[in-house]
Amino acid sequence: MPETARRGIDPRGPRFAAAITSVLLLVTVFLSLTGISTSKGTLTAVPRGFVVDPDGWAVQAASVAQRVFDPGFLALAVVALLFLWGVASPRTAPWGVLYRRLVAPRLAPPTELEDPRPPRFAQGVGLFVSVVGLVLHLVGVPWALPIAAAAAFVAAFLNAVFGLCLGCQLYLLLQRIGLVGRTAAA
Amino acid sequence: MGLAALLAATLGIGLTLRWQQNRPRRDVVHEVVEPARLGAERLGERATLLQFSTELCARCPGVHRTLASVAEGQEGVLHLDVDLTHRPDIAKHFHVLQTPTTLILDGDGAVQTRFGGVPSRDVLELELARVTGEPVHA
Repeated sequence: MPETARRGIDPRGPRFAAAITSVLLLVTVFLSLTGISTSKGTLTAVPRGFVVDPDGWAVQAASVAQRVFDPGFLALAVVALLFLWGVASPRTAPWGVLYRRLVAPRLAPPTELEDPRPPRFAQGVGLFVSVVGLVLHLVGVPWALPIAAAAAFVAAFLNAVFGLCLGCQLYLLLQRIGLVGRTAAA
Repeated sequence: MGLAALLAATLGIGLTLRWQQNRPRRDVVHEVVEPARLGAERLGERATLLQFSTELCARCPGVHRTLASVAEGQEGVLHLDVDLTHRPDIAKHFHVLQTPTTLILDGDGAVQTRFGGVPSRDVLELELARVTGEPVHA
């Protein structure tokens, strides 16, 4: 095992993980579209009755606890935790372990090994996108959950199905606008 | 309904990106590349496969292997892989916004073709043959 760790990882592992992640994210998009994030109509308690506003965003009128216990929020929080796990400790992340224990033994050995850094960076991009969605939802921004989940879904799905890694392709773009990396002394 | 639209849009993006990767772009500035600027001693006598990579690029090692074996099979063709992770100046000069990006240079070191992404081996060999003026055997 340590030998493999030094030489690289089976490139099919991250794609397997991305496939599971994209299914989870699709479920998250569904849950957040049916939850309070996108619904309208509010009921506010006032002395001696209620005020009904059919055009108000439900998420803005909701309490913080209601925002937290929205199914879409909980689902995206789970996905974010999995991204965090993938960044903090890629070797013990659940889908990677599942791949090595159950899937890899049934496949032919990999023809080539890959650098583990790019998939880890991609998990970081996924984590960033989902945390932005979670925070915006918590402060009461409508549509934050489904949009963040959909953005992460697009990236995970393209990785799983087409082997494209958007975060990796865009690394230079992020560098250009100064978000990652610094110039070495030239 | 919303989910179906999301799935369809994602599939569309994926298919478009894959189609674009196999499209050689020839409407590029045919500038002559200085090998010293890229940290190389020389360019290929007949052609150079100039690859741009970063450390955080999942597809770059695969393209590196493909290009290296293409260059190995042909005399006078050299493969150069330039890591742009710490060289934003080179990235800016060649307008590289995605990696891998591959340029095919002719015998004079002038840029002839540009590929963004992961081109297939067949497309690469065909384009290389066009640049070097060789008849295609494949």
